[in-house]
Amino acid sequence: MMLQIKDLKVRYGNIEALHGLNFEIDRGEIVTLIGANGAGKTSTLLSLSRLAPPDAPTVFEGDILFDGESILKTEPHKLVEQKMMALVPEGRHIFGNLSVQENLDLATYAVKEDHQFVQETEDLVYNLFPRLKERQKQRSESLSGGEQQMLAVGRALMTGCKFIMLDEPSMGLAPVLMYEMFRALRELNKNGITILVVEQNAKVALDFATRGYVLDTGEIIASGSSDELRNNKDVQKAYLGG
Amino acid sequence: MFTTVLQNLFNALQWGSFYSMIALGYCLVYGVLRLINFAHGDIFMMACYFAFFIATFFLSIFLGLPGPVIFVITLFLTIMVTAGLGVFIERVAYRPLRKKGAHRLYVVITALMLGFILENGNLAVLGASSRRFPDMIDKVIISFGGVNLTNLKIIVILSSIVVFFILNLIVNKTKIGMAMRAISYDKFAIPLMGIPVNKVITFTFALGSGLAAVAGILFGMSYPVLDPYMGMIIGWKAFIAAVVGGIGDIKGAFLGGFILGFIEIIVVAFFPSSYKDLIAFVILLLILTIKPTGFFGVAKSTKI
Repeated sequence: MMLQIKDLKVRYGNIEALHGLNFEIDRGEIVTLIGANGAGKTSTLLSLSRLAPPDAPTVFEGDILFDGESILKTEPHKLVEQKMMALVPEGRHIFGNLSVQENLDLATYAVKEDHQFVQETEDLVYNLFPRLKERQKQRSESLSGGEQQMLAVGRALMTGCKFIMLDEPSMGLAPVLMYEMFRALRELNKNGITILVVEQNAKVALDFATRGYVLDTGEIIASGSSDELRNNKDVQKAYLGG
Repeated sequence: MFTTVLQNLFNALQWGSFYSMIALGYCLVYGVLRLINFAHGDIFMMACYFAFFIATFFLSIFLGLPGPVIFVITLFLTIMVTAGLGVFIERVAYRPLRKKGAHRLYVVITALMLGFILENGNLAVLGASSRRFPDMIDKVIISFGGVNLTNLKIIVILSSIVVFFILNLIVNKTKIGMAMRAISYDKFAIPLMGIPVNKVITFTFALGSGLAAVAGILFGMSYPVLDPYMGMIIGWKAFIAAVVGGIGDIKGAFLGGFILGFIEIIVVAFFPSSYKDLIAFVILLLILTIKPTGFFGVAKSTKI
């Protein structure tokens, strides 16, 4: 297993947000975490990213293993530097005062002088999202929401990480753009990128992922392949509109 | 009349250069941490003292060495030592607060206290007597059309321009500079790009303090009397200059310094010199009232 989450308990200040999460992801998978607002989906991703409080919750019990080794003491930028995992955060967090190209360049900060890799990945990003190529020199805050989301994904790719976590990639996107985004992500998966995607839109997420976990108030209440979850009565009732 | 104007123009450029080089330090730290580093004026003061000791030391042990060589050595060493001081201050004072998630107010108070500590530490160690900065470069007066310029004045003005261009290059063309700009927009996402936030902050303090060092050594050479409180007024003025220019932008801070230089010199040309600060600050106040973000400041729009 590439990533193992063992009995993970986290809190924001004194408020416990996750009450003992267990799940795992293997290389090459597309896994989704679904759940209602406030279920702990974002808290899970932020815990994995190892960002420091107050940006992320504090892990006080349990462990996160990457290739069998705990990453609890690893600094967030080290995770990226060692090409373990990249996070496309909720709200995109692109650098609006930088151009599209500069955003992509900056994401290669920790990539050690490998010009070929940088060039290839840049080509991949621009092929995947031709709109970004058109807006290469533009200040990125002038992009539309969908384009900003593309840029955020492109940035994650530029880090060289083969495991990408996405927090609500469909949020605020028009349906056409949303499908375009998921099509691009599927293509990336075929190229060997492992994906963990968090979604409120359970239907879209289950169509996209091969398997998933259902999160409810900080606990996993169901798991299985996408088909199993789609046919699960409780999941249908709570997340798929009956 | 014309020569007086020209003469004053150069005086304004010289003072503007000092303000600008110091203002850039405020601007850099503010951009990265959203912190007004009120100790910055005193870092400038410390730079003057560092330069004083380094220059005196080299002048006394290498008697044969030409002045300009000693100047270059002093400049280089002063930049290194002052950058080290800036980084040290960040480590021992600001980083622990940041780690604990302290409110910005406490960090600003810490900056103010640090300024006092540097001033009074200097006073305690070196005593109250002011010191005379040694001469490293022989003063040459260049006259043209009735305007008298010292070579030092030209060096000061050119230095500020060179420093600004180098800084511009760093901020716009290097990855660490790009990270400095990015951090001012969105600190959260910086580690997600594989960038160590603390390294960017350390670099910023080193850079800002290095600029203060250039200003410090040149100021010491131009106005050779040093005292522990010399950084206070000039530091405050440079800070105000940075805000008037637009503190979020290095162009703004740089020009802000020159705006202040010009206003001061113009006021002195027409009014008794005791009115200088009064009128200059009234004008700056008016500028800020009309454009609160400063000349180059842009109100940052947040996008969701």
